[in-house]
Amino acid sequence: MEAHGELITAVIVDDHAAISAGVRYWCEQAEPPIGLIDAGDRLAGVWTPPGADADVVIFDLELVPGKPDFGELRRLVEAGRRVVVYSQHADNATAIKCIDLGALAYLTKREGPDHLVPAIRAVAHGQPYTAPSLSGALAADDTPDRPRLSPRETEVLRAWFASSSKELVAAKLHITVKTVDTYIARVRVKYANVGRAARTKSELVTRALDDGVITLAELNQAASP
Amino acid sequence: MVADDDLGRQTTAQLQRGLRIAMVVVAGAILFGLGLLNLVRHLDDHDLPVVQLVAFAMLAAALAVVAAQVVLRRPWPVSHRVVVAVVLAACALSYLTLPGGRTSTEVDWIFGAANWVGLAVLLDRPLRTVVAFLVAHELLALANVVLLNDVSRNSLARFATGSVSVLGFPLCVAVVAAVLHRIGTAAATATRELERVRTAEAVAEAAHRRRAQRFADLAGTTVPLLEGLADRSLAPSDPAVQRRSAIEAARMRRLLAESDTVEDPLMHELRHCADIADRKGVEVELDARGRWPVPPVAVRRALTDAALTALATADSWARVTVVGDGDVVAVNVVADCVPGDGVAGDGVAVDDVAVDDVAVDGVAGDRGETGVRVETFSSGGTVWMEARWKPTAS
Repeated sequence: MEAHGELITAVIVDDHAAISAGVRYWCEQAEPPIGLIDAGDRLAGVWTPPGADADVVIFDLELVPGKPDFGELRRLVEAGRRVVVYSQHADNATAIKCIDLGALAYLTKREGPDHLVPAIRAVAHGQPYTAPSLSGALAADDTPDRPRLSPRETEVLRAWFASSSKELVAAKLHITVKTVDTYIARVRVKYANVGRAARTKSELVTRALDDGVITLAELNQAASP
Repeated sequence: MVADDDLGRQTTAQLQRGLRIAMVVVAGAILFGLGLLNLVRHLDDHDLPVVQLVAFAMLAAALAVVAAQVVLRRPWPVSHRVVVAVVLAACALSYLTLPGGRTSTEVDWIFGAANWVGLAVLLDRPLRTVVAFLVAHELLALANVVLLNDVSRNSLARFATGSVSVLGFPLCVAVVAAVLHRIGTAAATATRELERVRTAEAVAEAAHRRRAQRFADLAGTTVPLLEGLADRSLAPSDPAVQRRSAIEAARMRRLLAESDTVEDPLMHELRHCADIADRKGVEVELDARGRWPVPPVAVRRALTDAALTALATADSWARVTVVGDGDVVAVNVVADCVPGDGVAGDGVAVDDVAVDDVAVDGVAGDRGETGVRVETFSSGGTVWMEARWKPTAS
């Protein structure tokens, strides 16, 4: 399933043909290109070949308008699929619930042009991707079981949401773009460490501990209420 | 109009109630005083005393219904027509068994009692209904004189004398009631009119104050610009003047939006600011995360001012975001602004916004600092302005 220098493949489930066509265009224009399988609005297309073999699932959360399909998202994550939620929805609760269920990325449709291709690449390698809208949702999250974030992490999340440019965030906060990424990654690890268990989330935590992005002590401290 | 009607109804209802209580007391005194006294004293004169007692009970029951309605302030348990019918039936019953030649004497106890009971029942009805009832009551007595007795000059004279009080006094009361009812209606209309004039006055005064306030708010910045354009000291072709115009246009839009009643005034006013930029072809993204308390007008102005300037001077795109919680609200604008007024070159500038020069109506403790901190950061062609407000600190 993992792509090492090979062509990354993604399957998209979306009931709007224009959205799928736009995503196909971005994937074809990407360097290197990404192979896209269009499952239309049929979820079966994700579970049967060729969709079943795709590295990434681009999932429209509202195939039925007004009814976000969290159940299907949970089934996909439980089957070990790497999911980019691509949603019309912009509210905090929806974004955070998708992350809690184990989606590796959450993008609003407005963020598609700038963030969908980088998100597909990151997710194909099992890495989380945090777009500005999700960053804002995490910064403003006030649910009681949220992990504890450091003031600097919150500041970076807010700045990334506000500017939508990591270069600007780095310049404003006098840090490097790499450090910006590290702060955001740490937040995602902290979130992956709380809430319901999912394979994508535990893989994320394990890798972060291995890479030294965060220590076990810091992780435990963040999770304790 | 519905409220007006309620007011009028309340005024007349109070007047009516007082009158009806008095009427019930009077009718009760007459029925149980004079009526009962005459009935008991001359009970032996009657051929069928039981029938007279039944007639008395019917009148008492009719009066009890009225009393209950007045005391309990409930709608009529039975139609007033039924109650009046009971009163008239009691009269008919009494006259059918009245001994001959006794009409309009002390033995004829019901002649002077039923009229008052009937009046108590019909007091809030139109005058013609009351008159109709009194005439019907009179005709029943007359029928007794004419049909069941030998008509003599003596009996007719006695009947006529009795009728003066039996018909006359209740009629006077009914006329007074009708006049009072009309006065009540007129008073209600006057009250309504007074209320309407007062409301109109208050609205006009508030509108005037708001307009004066708006003018004062614009006087410092918009008026000099308009004056400059009018006396040709400022050229509309000058990009700096165009930029100032764009900013003032956005300020006016915000000023007008401030008086709208909306759930989230901060976002509402930002949307209006964004709209100005949107109209001149700037692509604006507006996004908000979190929840925050509603900031006072002065704070909202300080928070949106940076956004307003950046949006009005943005060249092709702008991103406006609001992130907030209970502790801090931050309005951020990132845009590709044309360098010029208020937008410095690369670097960081920090300003604490005071509102000494902005008088804001209806905001307590607004003199002095708003507690809004504005940070401007420029890099390349991009300007990033952040205005922060701590609700707890101010």
